[in-house]
Amino acid sequence: MRIEQHPILEFRRGRRITFTFDGRPIEAYEGETIAAALHAAGVRVLSRTRSGAPRGLFCAIGKCSSCLMTVDGIPNVKTCVTPVREGMVVQSQRGPGRLNPDFRPREREVRELRAEAVVVGAGPAGLAATRVLLRHGIKPIVFDENPHLGGQLIKQTHKFFGSRAERAGVRGFSIAEELLSEVEGEAEVLRQARVLGLYFEDGKRVLAVAHTDRLLLVEAEEIIVATGAEERFLLFPGNHLPGVYGAGAVQTLMNVYGVVPGKRALMVGAGNVGLIVSYQLLQAGVEVEAVVEAMPEIGGYHVHAAKIRRLGIPILTRHTVVRALGGERVEGAVIAQVDEKLSPIPGTEREVSVDLVCLATGLNPSTRLLEQAGARMAYVPELGGRVPLHTPHMETTLPGIYVAGDCAGIGEASTAMLEGELAALSLLSRRGLELGGEMEATRKSLEKLRLGPFGARPRAGKEKVFALMKGGSGG
Amino acid sequence: MKRCADVVIIGAGVTGAALAYELAKRGIRDVVILERRFPCSGATGRCGGGIRQQFTTPHNIRLAMESVKRYETLSEELGVDIEFIQGGYLILAETEEEREAQRKAVALQNELGLPSRLLSPEEALDVLPLLDASTITGATYCPTDGHANPFRVVEGFLAQARRMGVMVEKFTAVTGLVVERGRIVRVHTSSGKISPGAVVNAAGAWSVEIARMAGVELPNVPVRHEIAITEPVEFFMDVMVISIHNGIYFSQTKEGQIIGGIGFPDEKPGYVISSSLRFLRVYARELTRYVPALGQLAVLRQWAGLYDVTPDAQPVLGPTPGVENFIQANGYSGHGFMIAPAVAKHLADYIEKGIRSEILEKLSIERFKEEIRGEAFVVG
Repeated sequence: MRIEQHPILEFRRGRRITFTFDGRPIEAYEGETIAAALHAAGVRVLSRTRSGAPRGLFCAIGKCSSCLMTVDGIPNVKTCVTPVREGMVVQSQRGPGRLNPDFRPREREVRELRAEAVVVGAGPAGLAATRVLLRHGIKPIVFDENPHLGGQLIKQTHKFFGSRAERAGVRGFSIAEELLSEVEGEAEVLRQARVLGLYFEDGKRVLAVAHTDRLLLVEAEEIIVATGAEERFLLFPGNHLPGVYGAGAVQTLMNVYGVVPGKRALMVGAGNVGLIVSYQLLQAGVEVEAVVEAMPEIGGYHVHAAKIRRLGIPILTRHTVVRALGGERVEGAVIAQVDEKLSPIPGTEREVSVDLVCLATGLNPSTRLLEQAGARMAYVPELGGRVPLHTPHMETTLPGIYVAGDCAGIGEASTAMLEGELAALSLLSRRGLELGGEMEATRKSLEKLRLGPFGARPRAGKEKVFALMKGGSGG
Repeated sequence: MKRCADVVIIGAGVTGAALAYELAKRGIRDVVILERRFPCSGATGRCGGGIRQQFTTPHNIRLAMESVKRYETLSEELGVDIEFIQGGYLILAETEEEREAQRKAVALQNELGLPSRLLSPEEALDVLPLLDASTITGATYCPTDGHANPFRVVEGFLAQARRMGVMVEKFTAVTGLVVERGRIVRVHTSSGKISPGAVVNAAGAWSVEIARMAGVELPNVPVRHEIAITEPVEFFMDVMVISIHNGIYFSQTKEGQIIGGIGFPDEKPGYVISSSLRFLRVYARELTRYVPALGQLAVLRQWAGLYDVTPDAQPVLGPTPGVENFIQANGYSGHGFMIAPAVAKHLADYIEKGIRSEILEKLSIERFKEEIRGEAFVVG
């Protein structure tokens, strides 16, 4: 089902097209991904495991493998980031897909280029970095693997918090539009461009990038990596059922593609994401049964909590989801109270009637590119997992390679933007540019943004990272 | 850690694990494995898992044949599914010279009882229907070759060895060997000293450094070898493929992933194991040249490990002249996983009964004093 009326968003849909799913025609709009179009058509089971268990959409941004299907004969295609095309043949898989025996690889164009600088990831951190570079006369090449630029900002319909200087009061997608308008046309920005690896060849740094049918070999001395984060999963029986989504996926479906993910939702996690997405579900016309939070306190801002409570949605602290019910898709869920050790208390189980379980249980940094490149990493739970060591000015253990945003430790969009700016300023200062007090001012703004009680954890995490960086050790 | 042990094995790769199990099974259970990192952290955990018998020297062929016999029943014996797929090895040739080398190799192999045979390009197509047969002048095939999961094999050996009393000391690096009157009397480690009955040097590419601690010079050199794995697809090939033309090898794991690699003759010796763009491009090009349909697959990971290479590409096995209780089990030159179970038997015979088999005689470190003929097919 598609959203026709929305209080904030207006969906400008592309040309109507038709593709087939397991032989049956499906209507879609140009610009949608395959998974979004299938959702709109009511298809929830995308593929099956070897044992026959159903698999549906989970992350919607190409970071997990829950949506793999065979597309035009090619197995294991991530349908959540592949735009649908007229006449496309989409098939569900059982286990891994089957090779098409008649496939012949096309001769791929290999283009070698030199970039003044490279930014990987066109989310808030990457775009903010790009803007600073442009302002100082450096034109970087920006790569993003998604069909849309702006990262996760494009699905943020809420107004931002923090200081006015960091755009408090502005909606996330407007920030993305603003950043993109300043960057596009100035820097070369390539979407659906997947950076395969960063290599050190003959004393040069070379990024291998798969872009459409080309292989780009991009030589760059300085690189800013802003690859974001991925949804954290939760263990409970039935978590594999179509209808269990990451909170980000629900946002992507509703706010980017205007597709309703279900009728009635259970939200797991009362951090800011859980609270905000609950409200967004209501805006899209989806009922919310309850928000469960295993901790004794609500993790997010109280103003967000108050907003959904006023609309009659209970926020149950010390509660969690213990199972999702259903055979082919979510048909209900069981929630229960938890004890001090977060274990469910027997006898407190209660069944709720939902067709959608939304997990807002945190994020892990997406750091594969930096790990592959050989940057030193450390496990820092306060930052969401393994993160690349970096200086307070965002330089990793690889000189000239910087990191910014969630992949440097989970934070929020406003801190990501400041980290992006800081990374760009570091790069400029490495080149000997005179920056006045700009770098220190940015670092101070970042520190200030992390001063509140919600900044305590990331602040502690960053201190650990800086100390490890200084000590020269890491995991 | 124990203060003393009958046998101290340095390295918990497939060689150390197989030998510890073999010794324990024979009742020699006072065995300690010293591992600098963790089991499989060296070449074993980085290898492609191929188990080939089609070699060009009699020793390699014999060891590999004995080894395959062991692999055939190992899942049952260890109580672990080692994912042994006995789908044969298809060895591709692209020139007339390579064809000639294959004729000679098959003649020798058949003489030693190996059922390998020469195939025409069309016959190779029967073995692997997705092969582009126009790329080759011919192939050889041995149906009893195969491949297995190295992690499962080591896990299986170690679990059984531990059950019988073998100790595995992880994150314990050997820092020195004390030799007195021609014997190693103490092994210094990062977590204490141990007095050994015998010391086995199964440290892979680091064997040279271990040997040097006892004043022994091995001719081995470490050489990086790169490898990659794709996403899984429905199982379609049980045969493992290698080419003597360019050194590529690849097989399909039980999970459905294509795992393989390719070596470079100009690779300089050294301990660097970073991944290269050159490897990725050359491997992808050669892989899809032989099996074009594999061009549909995405590479998930690439990594590298170290071959422990000797001048004749054959292992260094058995006792060391001058240091009587120092036993070498290294220098596999990329073939350790294939022959480790057989090597374990020969070395256990020596440690248990003092029997020095013909293979141990021939593959002793002493051979490097003379000039000898080496293995020609140094591929997966």
